[in-house]
Amino acid sequence: MRSPSRRSFLRGVGGAGLALPWLESLAFADRASTPTEGRPPKRLAFYYVPIGVVRRGFFPGELHAGLPAFNGDSSAIVETRTAVGSRPIELTPTLEPLKGVKSKVALVTGLDRTFQNGTDVHAQCACCFLSSAAPFTVSSSAWPLDRTLDHVVADEVGHATPFRTLEFSCNSHRDNLESIYFDNISWYGTGHVAPSIRDPRKAYRRMFRTQEVGKFRDITDLVLEDARTLQQELGHADRRKFAEYFDSIRAIEERMDRLERMAAELDEVSIAEPPEAHLPRGAYIRLMGDLMVVALQTGLTRVATLMVGPERWNTPFTFESLFDKPVSHHLMSHSQKEFGDELLKIDHFHMQQFAYLVEKMDAIAEADGSTLLDNTIFTYGSGLGDGATHQYNDLPIVVAGSGAGMLKLGQHLHCPEGTPLANLWLTQARVMGVELDRFADSAGVVPQLLA
Amino acid sequence: MGAVYRTLALGVRPVCIAAVACCLLQSLDAAGGDAFTRVLQPALQQSCIKCHGERGAPNGNVDLFALRSSDELVQNPELVRSLVKVLDSGVMPPAGEPPLAMEERQRLVAGLRDVLHLAVSAQESFPQAPMRRMNRFQYNNAVQDLFDLRVDVFALPERMLREYGYFRPETGKMPENLKAGSRPLGKSQLIDKRLAGVAPFPQDLRAEHGYDNRGDHLTLSPLLLEAFLKLGTSIVESEDFSDRTSGAWARFFAPPPDPENTEVAVREALRDFLERAFRRPIENDLIERYVDHVMRRIRSGGSFGDAMKAAASAALASPRFLYLYDRAGQGEAAKRLDDFELASRLSFFLWGSIPDRTLFELAAEGALRDASVLQRQVDRMLQDARLKRFCDSFPTQWLQLERIVSSVPDPDRFPDFYFAKFRASMHMMLEPLLLFETILIENRSILELVDADFSYRSELLESWYRDGTRPQRVPPVAIPFRRVPVADRRQGGVITNAAVMTMTSGPERTRPITRGAWVADVVFNDPPDPPPANVPPLLPEEGADARADLTLRERFAEHRTQADCAVCHVKIDPLGFALENYGPNGVWRDAYDDGQVVDASGILFGRREFSNIVEFKDAILAERDRFARAFAGHLLEFALARELEASDEPALDRIVRETGASDYRIQDMIKQVVLSEPFLSKYNPVRSEDRSL
Repeated sequence: MRSPSRRSFLRGVGGAGLALPWLESLAFADRASTPTEGRPPKRLAFYYVPIGVVRRGFFPGELHAGLPAFNGDSSAIVETRTAVGSRPIELTPTLEPLKGVKSKVALVTGLDRTFQNGTDVHAQCACCFLSSAAPFTVSSSAWPLDRTLDHVVADEVGHATPFRTLEFSCNSHRDNLESIYFDNISWYGTGHVAPSIRDPRKAYRRMFRTQEVGKFRDITDLVLEDARTLQQELGHADRRKFAEYFDSIRAIEERMDRLERMAAELDEVSIAEPPEAHLPRGAYIRLMGDLMVVALQTGLTRVATLMVGPERWNTPFTFESLFDKPVSHHLMSHSQKEFGDELLKIDHFHMQQFAYLVEKMDAIAEADGSTLLDNTIFTYGSGLGDGATHQYNDLPIVVAGSGAGMLKLGQHLHCPEGTPLANLWLTQARVMGVELDRFADSAGVVPQLLA
Repeated sequence: MGAVYRTLALGVRPVCIAAVACCLLQSLDAAGGDAFTRVLQPALQQSCIKCHGERGAPNGNVDLFALRSSDELVQNPELVRSLVKVLDSGVMPPAGEPPLAMEERQRLVAGLRDVLHLAVSAQESFPQAPMRRMNRFQYNNAVQDLFDLRVDVFALPERMLREYGYFRPETGKMPENLKAGSRPLGKSQLIDKRLAGVAPFPQDLRAEHGYDNRGDHLTLSPLLLEAFLKLGTSIVESEDFSDRTSGAWARFFAPPPDPENTEVAVREALRDFLERAFRRPIENDLIERYVDHVMRRIRSGGSFGDAMKAAASAALASPRFLYLYDRAGQGEAAKRLDDFELASRLSFFLWGSIPDRTLFELAAEGALRDASVLQRQVDRMLQDARLKRFCDSFPTQWLQLERIVSSVPDPDRFPDFYFAKFRASMHMMLEPLLLFETILIENRSILELVDADFSYRSELLESWYRDGTRPQRVPPVAIPFRRVPVADRRQGGVITNAAVMTMTSGPERTRPITRGAWVADVVFNDPPDPPPANVPPLLPEEGADARADLTLRERFAEHRTQADCAVCHVKIDPLGFALENYGPNGVWRDAYDDGQVVDASGILFGRREFSNIVEFKDAILAERDRFARAFAGHLLEFALARELEASDEPALDRIVRETGASDYRIQDMIKQVVLSEPFLSKYNPVRSEDRSL
């Protein structure tokens, strides 16, 4: 164990005053895979907000628009009246928390997805958000769910980091109401979930308790041989699925090697183990966000996702500081007439936590004088354009960080109708150095976003 | 449905069996002509094609207009299955269309069932649960049985009911008085004796309308494999892991008396251990690898016990332990399970765990596949204490009882629901589970799940059903329950109990649609489809469009006037409104708070009218075959760890037929599930490209 005196504890967990350490050298731990020698590597992160937003609070120019009626049909369309093109960002009530970082974010509106008939309208919101495959192009699944963007990018940039990707979630439900499709945005592929960590302590231990994994080394040889012989006994379909075992062993072995190389440097990271106590909602999100930021900062990974909460999941829960009773975000979202104020508060609250993380990243200096945010693309987004209409078009998206100057920020870009969300993902993949012609149902990049 | 999209349009599902099947169907109908042209086609044309194909885009993507011959139906068993479903349940033709006469409907359903059987018998590929890792519950049980542990491996809140010595299936009788506790809600109920220092991996989520053992949901990732690696090591290294807690200690971890014989002893112990862990005979090569692993440690100074522990922890991370799978079959057709696969399928079904020595030995003798041996084994398993694992997983998930954990009725309106740090739901959730266990242990009819003349009640529940109050003192830990007669048929059974009525309500109001969907899913195994495009789901009870002058029922009726909505809601709504006499806390009410009298009348499956809940139960009992079929489907789905498909329908028909004479006694049903074709078969062919691997 590291001595406590060397750490600055996370007192008042997730509190705004918290100063996270930064490590110059660690940012270069994966120098080998960094294309430009001497420059910090680029990182990619996502902040997923479930159940859409209240449009009039979020989108510039819609403040006085009529209230959308409830509709379970994903093809219902409420389009913002904004003209296609670029303009300065107007801070709407929901975007207001971004005022301090306005020049380092881009508001991107007008991006659409296509809903594939056959599942509940919420079922594809989150799990296909970073996949957005064209309907019915993924066989053998009800979901247009392919390998998600974070993993596609990590295939390219995750070779040297201990973790190819990290998945965090702030699902605070205690019941078991919904299936995996509502609870995960990160997928290795169709039907193969990349599970997230909900418990900050577990996340911490996984990231920093390096000695724990070391002892598995002599087990892995033995079980790999078991796996090789077992594979011979399997039918075709099972052989394909069983690849997950080999992939997992390989990932763990690589991680052990890389963590060992980084051990001395990681020892310098002074972040304390999170407490076991229940955290108020905001502190919980900020703490998981802190852990994500420190992982990106130190080079534990270059790609991470943070899911603020699961899709649908009707069970009420407490948003401490917002309401005095537990509320069901999903049920309220169907009725903006009755719960408009509450929903706006939730949207604002989620944006506040995003802004906190953006500011935190922007306060972390990297070796060349830029900030962590400057070298990251950190995207806020939701799978629905509106929680009441259940539309899959005109999604609320905010991109923070320029990916080392490659994105043009400080603008509100409204895309032409029918621009696939996957165009943004393709743009981000290219900025991250992934040579792709197409991603999911993309039709090209978002050129106005490129610097 | 929801979890898997089924394409119903003809011709999308390629099955090349038409020629054979068509001949079969014609030969079946030797009396004269083709059953299709004589019975099915005219009926479909008269009652269905107006909306399904005749006029352009077919409703619901079901095109019946293009149907020209029986082989087109035979080629599409999923379509036939859904036709049987909507016709048999009275959903189609929808209200407003000319109704189908009862006899004609029955003839149509029978004809389609024949087609379905034919289609399945001609089918070449069958559904098979994919290879899958154990879920958390199975892992706990398997480790416990492997080491003969007297303690739990880790805390499992998914086992909702904590029992205090009453569960004795070998007696065939539940005691009159017993004590039970609620793990998720009671005081200190998660503190079981367990291994110190062992942390579980996260609970596995339940598939939508399914169970947490579903093969397509149980995948592995580095995160989870790491958790398994840690678990394996932390279990054998736990300070509590010793000869006091492990009955297998002497066999596996105690050094041989004569150190000269160490290697022989290691080999012998490992063979026994690995066979148990991997549920199959083990090849010598594999054993020698583990022997090497152990002997290297011993030679470099490690103790026998520690070296064996290292091997044990490796075995726990081996895919041969972690994964449930059936070995590849030769050729394209479905194959019988081999004896060892059968032993595993059986033990994971009824015990949520690895086979015990008896099952393993019978498998080794090649005797288990013998039907009479198999039935005797099922009997034995049903009388074994490990049956508790079935009770800890199947009924809670079947009833979706985890939803009660987060039910929070409005504290202002229902103050008695809350006391100290506890909730009345802590008692409620135990009642349907105790009823299920009684029916199972006493081998009673599953019809008592709908309508039972007894129940297990705590003092709180007695008082709660009386008037929604609770006694002054409520035990928060081990709660005494007493078996009481239930003369009032408004009570009794798993539908109208306080737990289900509370968990299907919002904090302020009941949610008839939620309740209806629950009944459709749980009782009839026919969950509403996800809302198709253009149909707004009906959830105005949250208030926005609420009109104070209308009753809830009237507000829904208004929405139901849209034809597209009616299709689903004509099915769900009566099921939910039948339960409107139970308030958001499960307590009986004759009228709403505003004085309007509750109207619980309706029609079940478009043919059985009822005016109150008792008549509703009668209507369900009158449709007993359908309930039995639904329940058999739930059991089979749980047993097979996959969604059911059209090819499983003949098996369901058979289970219902075989158990009807005895009023569907539950153990008979379980036995028929085990003896069913899908349970005894596997389908996992190898392709030529696999052989080069």
